[in-house]
Amino acid sequence: LFQGVRQAQWLTKTKLVEGLPPPVLSIIDNPAHQLEDHEERVQRAISHARFWETTEVAPRREHYCPVLFEDLIHLCRLMSVKYPSLTKRMLARNYRISATWERESILLQVRGQNGILMNSMAPIPPVASKEEILATEEHVLETFYPISPTIDLQEVNVYKELDDTGKSSRFRDGYPYSYPHTVFFLESANIRPNRFRPEQLRAKMLMFAFGNALAKAKVLYGNDPKVLEQPIVVQSIGTDGQLFQFMVFQLNTTDLVSSDGIKNLVWIDSDQNLYEKAQCIPEIKKRVVTKPAGIYGFQPDTFKKFLALYLHGTV
Amino acid sequence: VMMAAGLCRAFGALLLSAAPRHSRLPALPCASPLGLPPCLPGAVLAAVRRGLGCSVPRCTTDPLWKCRVKYTVRPIGMKKTGGRDHTGRIRVRGIGGGHKRRYRMIDFQRLRYEEGAPPQPFTEKVINVRYDPCRSADIALVAGGNRKRWIIATENMQPGDIIKNSSHIGRMAVSANEGDAYPLGALPVGTLICNLESHPGKGAQYIRAAGTCGVLLRKVNGTAIVQLPSKRHMQVLETCVATVGRVSNVDHNKRVIGKAGRNRWLGKRPHTGLWHRKGGWAGRKIKPLPPMKSYVNLPRVTAQE
Repeated sequence: LFQGVRQAQWLTKTKLVEGLPPPVLSIIDNPAHQLEDHEERVQRAISHARFWETTEVAPRREHYCPVLFEDLIHLCRLMSVKYPSLTKRMLARNYRISATWERESILLQVRGQNGILMNSMAPIPPVASKEEILATEEHVLETFYPISPTIDLQEVNVYKELDDTGKSSRFRDGYPYSYPHTVFFLESANIRPNRFRPEQLRAKMLMFAFGNALAKAKVLYGNDPKVLEQPIVVQSIGTDGQLFQFMVFQLNTTDLVSSDGIKNLVWIDSDQNLYEKAQCIPEIKKRVVTKPAGIYGFQPDTFKKFLALYLHGTV
Repeated sequence: VMMAAGLCRAFGALLLSAAPRHSRLPALPCASPLGLPPCLPGAVLAAVRRGLGCSVPRCTTDPLWKCRVKYTVRPIGMKKTGGRDHTGRIRVRGIGGGHKRRYRMIDFQRLRYEEGAPPQPFTEKVINVRYDPCRSADIALVAGGNRKRWIIATENMQPGDIIKNSSHIGRMAVSANEGDAYPLGALPVGTLICNLESHPGKGAQYIRAAGTCGVLLRKVNGTAIVQLPSKRHMQVLETCVATVGRVSNVDHNKRVIGKAGRNRWLGKRPHTGLWHRKGGWAGRKIKPLPPMKSYVNLPRVTAQE
C-alpha cells in the first residue's frame, strides 16, 4: 500500500487512535493476570528461537520467527490454568480470507492466505463506549488529493463475490469456535525487500482484521449495510521476530459506501521491540570480548501486551 | 449495479501467472507481449513467481529486455551493448564496462491519461526525486489518480509538490509554475521550457539533458517557435506539450571527473593514444545559424491565389 495505514483507513472507513484501548491496558496493569517469573520464561523463549534452534551458528528469520511465535503462544496458554475458558480457543493456520465491500462505487476485496487466525467461542465485547462511537461521526476521513485512495491495488475482474472465513470452504455453521479473535502475522522472509516494512505491515494487519470482522458481520447480520448495535472486535498482532505491532479493530458499521456517518475504530500500538539485539557470537574487538553472547535490551512490556491481547475477551 | 472490474488486494495470495513473462507483481493475466520467442532464457523464467515487495534481477542477459509492453515503476535489468550493433562488431568506439544499471521506465508523454479517465487537465503529486544512472538528469516519481510513473524532474522540484498537466489552450496565456506541462500555445512568450515534442502526442524528444532549457521565442498562427540549447530555432505546432522550467541537476557540467577510474565507471573506455595531425575538421568554426527547422506541414500557398 502506498500511503500505508492512512490509505487503509480510508478504504475501511476507520478512525485511528494511538495506543491500546483502556480495557486492554487495565488487563496489563492487573497483577493477577501475569505468569510467575514470566520475564525469565520469555527470555528463555527468545534464546530458544534465536540461538538454540539450529545447528548453524545463527538461525535465519524464517526459522526463528515461527519458533518464537509458538513459544509465546505456549506461554500464553499456560495462563489457562487460572482461567479455564481460555481453552475454548483454536488456531487456524493457512487460513484463507475473502471479504468484499463497496466503497464509494468501487468494489474492494480482501483475499488471501496469510497469517494465522485464532478463533474463540465467545466474541470479544466492544471496546469503545457508545459516546466514542457517536463521536466518530464528526471525524473526516483524510483524502490524498491528487492521488486516488485506490492506488497500488490490483485490478481484477470479479466473477463471484465471496464472503468467507475459513479454509477452502467456510467454517461450517455450527462450528463451535466461530468468532475471529486475533490474527497473527509473521514476516519471516529472509531478505529484507521480501518483508513488509512496519508501516506496510500495519496497513496489512488493518485490512485483514477488517476483512475478518466484515465477513463475520455479514454472517451474523446479513448483507445489508447498516450500523451494528453490537460492534465486532478483532485483534491483530504482527511481528518480524523482533518488532511487534499490536492492533485492536472494532467494526461499528457495514455501511461503507458513503464517507460520512459512524466510522470504525482502530487502536494501534506500533513498533514495540521485544529485545534490542540478540547476539549469537560474542563480539570481539582486538582480542577482547566487548559484547558477550546474549539478549540485549529486553523489554517485558511487550510480552505483557501480547498476553493482555490474548486474555482480552475472557477476562 | 457494481462495477464489473473490481479492485482486489492480495497480500498473501500467490497468484500464479499463466504467461511465462517478466512478472514482478503477481501479473495480470492479460499482460503478454506479442512476438515473444517460445524458449526464454533461464534468468527470466526464474523471475515468474515472486512475492510482493521484491525487486527484479540486477541485470539480464535477455536481448529482448527492451520489449516490455506494460509500464511499471520498478527498475528493470538492462543488457549492456558495449558499442556493438546487431552484427556483433563494434559500431561505436569507446563504450564498454562500467557499473551495472537498471533502467527505470520514464514516461515522456506527460499528457498520458489513465485508462478510463476523461481527457481533462489533471494534477499529480511528486513523491520523490532521485538520481537516474541512465541519464544526466534526475527523475521524479509522481503519482496521480490510480497510477505512478517516472518523469524527468525539473530544477527545484521537491517531494510533495503538485504539478499540473493540461492540454487546454485558452485565449490568455497561463502563468505557469515550474514543473507543469502545458501546450506551447498556452504559455507566455519567453518562458523556459524543456521536454519538448516535435509532433503532438509523440512524447518528449528534445531538451532532456541536465540543466538544459529552451526559450519560447514567438507564436505565429497556429505554430510556435522555440530556441533549442544549441541556438537552433525549431517550429512546432502549438498543441505540442512541453514542461516549464530547466531540467534538474543543473551543475552537471561543472562536475570534475577527477580520475580515469570514474570515467571507466561511467562506461567510457579510453581513447587511442596514437597522435594524429588534425585536418580541416578541427578547430573553432564561426558560421551563421542553420535555417529554422520546421516540423509543421503548412499547405503551400501559391502566388496566384
